[in-house]
Amino acid sequence: MTTTKAGPMLEIDRVAKRYGGTLAVAEVSFTIGKGEFIALMGPSGCGKTTTLRMIAGLDTPSEGEIRLWGRRINEDAPWERDAPLVWQNYALFPFLSVVKNVEFGLKQRRVPAAERRKKAMEWMERLGIAGFAERGVDQLSGGQRQRVALARALALEPEMLLLDEPLSALDPHLRVRMQSELVRLHRELGITFVCVTHSHSEAFAMADRVVIMSEGRVQQIGAPREIYRRASNRFVAEFVGGNNLFSGTASSAGNGALRVEGPFGAALAPRPSEPAIHDGAAVTLVVAADRIDIASARSGIGNEIDARVVTLEVVGSSATVFLETAGGVDLRVQRSLHEIENTPLNPGQAVIARWSQDEGYFLPA
Amino acid sequence: MSDARSTQTLPSASPVTSSARATRLRFAAFWGLPPLVWQLAFFVVPLGFLVAMTFWSVKSFRLTPDATLANWTFILNAGFFRNAYVYTFWLAGLTALLASLIAFPAAYTLAFRLQPATRRFLVFMLVVPFFTSYPVRIYSTQIFFSPQGIINAALHPLGLGPISVLNSPTGTVIGYLVLTLPLVVLLQTFALMNVPKTLIEAAHNLGCGRLRTILTVIVPSARIGLVVAATFAFVLAFGDYVAPLYLGGSKPPTLSILIADQVKSGNHWPRASVVAVIMILTLVAVMSTMLALAYGRRGAKP
Repeated sequence: MTTTKAGPMLEIDRVAKRYGGTLAVAEVSFTIGKGEFIALMGPSGCGKTTTLRMIAGLDTPSEGEIRLWGRRINEDAPWERDAPLVWQNYALFPFLSVVKNVEFGLKQRRVPAAERRKKAMEWMERLGIAGFAERGVDQLSGGQRQRVALARALALEPEMLLLDEPLSALDPHLRVRMQSELVRLHRELGITFVCVTHSHSEAFAMADRVVIMSEGRVQQIGAPREIYRRASNRFVAEFVGGNNLFSGTASSAGNGALRVEGPFGAALAPRPSEPAIHDGAAVTLVVAADRIDIASARSGIGNEIDARVVTLEVVGSSATVFLETAGGVDLRVQRSLHEIENTPLNPGQAVIARWSQDEGYFLPA
Repeated sequence: MSDARSTQTLPSASPVTSSARATRLRFAAFWGLPPLVWQLAFFVVPLGFLVAMTFWSVKSFRLTPDATLANWTFILNAGFFRNAYVYTFWLAGLTALLASLIAFPAAYTLAFRLQPATRRFLVFMLVVPFFTSYPVRIYSTQIFFSPQGIINAALHPLGLGPISVLNSPTGTVIGYLVLTLPLVVLLQTFALMNVPKTLIEAAHNLGCGRLRTILTVIVPSARIGLVVAATFAFVLAFGDYVAPLYLGGSKPPTLSILIADQVKSGNHWPRASVVAVIMILTLVAVMSTMLALAYGRRGAKP
């Protein structure tokens, strides 16, 4: 729309935030492009919400700079910014009716009464809450309140929408529906969404790019698939879930491959170009759980590890099989139910865990 | 299956619950009865006596049990009573308004702008005035405003004054404020502290500056507490005897002055009781109206 604006929309440049003696954000840098759906993800206390609050202007960075279209906005008051926030607990005004809540921001911007009512009704229509216009917010369910909060923010037609754990207060069924609705809204509106979440399934399902944070620092930034397929460090590999981490000692295996030997057994994986790994170095091999197969006999192809079935967990149409190798290392395998229904997997049964050499990658130990 | 279980457990459970109820009742009676008896003896009975006395008569300065409406018709038709009623109501209302307005900035600062430790200290300081008895404070206020008092002494070199607020309605209102302000600040502070921080941040986020946020979000959110604080100020001022006596000069008289006058001149307790009962009814009406105002409006249905 605004073609004069070049470069990234929002730059978070070496931003830190201290509250008294505690460091909430140590050093965070990333950029957000116009129209992107960015998820800030990490465990509680990682600084993701503080980062979002600094973007909204509710907190001021102690160090570093936040720039919007190249202009420093550190000191701009929250009411001077155009970044409405959808709060975890919705923060609707209980003394106003639903439609007055939705109109609230427009009223502060001095939009004439008739026009703001029309706009508010349009947004409520779009979010399926037009029927509740005259109700009090305390007469709504959680899901309906969520929609009111969204309508209230979107009625301002901002270029950026901030969401703080938008789905965490909803029941699981509603969460999935709201998740796809947010994705649809983002696609239709073409504005920037910045969403804070502690759930990797939410982040990966909705966002174009995910910023993973821990202890006030960015651990990895990338597209969900990229992060999932290649975690940049141990924290990410573990936090993202569904990964097996094997520690062992590296030795050269020729043909651009490395051999890792450890308590789990031994396996081959491609030698990374960066960083260089010497023979005898301690390394961690990462293999995604859904890239491992279970077989009843060795085939001599790829990496094969002897293991025993510990237990089987079935959720819907996918199953997680927990194995233990001869060396006592836990190993998890994720398959669709359909793929394993002909393999007997009783606890204690001996099986072979098998994966292709290309599926493993290394992290520094 | 669940039926079978409930029929099984029910007979054994019911004696247990009934004995538990008896224990609970005994407990409630033990702790609840003494204050109940106290209230009955020293509040309900005297109140009943007060109401009964309005129908008595005074014969040659002696109180005589009777069943006459003469006291009511006399007071209700007396011009001096109507004037005093309007005057007292107006001054108490003005005090409630002034106290609320003067207290709000202080309460806002206490609730939102100060560190918890500073706030605790200042809240403590607001309780300190209640350590000294109220008449003593009014005496000192009288000395403050007297023609040779501190205030006029300070104003004189500036070529101002002397100001004379003593023996005037202004003096009465100042006295009422001495009585009510600390309490109103306290009540408002607690009301404002209960306003959810996220609502304030949400208002900022949606484009409200600080002042607009106060008007559009903070005051409506704290409405109940603010109304209760103002109502307290009204109730205290409406019934106060000390401020109008020492600072207002009892001219024109407020209702409490009127009560004293009725008793002093002519020993007319029944007429004084009529005034007192009317005052009580007024306060009940004012409080119900204010509370309806505070809790009512939206959400008439639960």
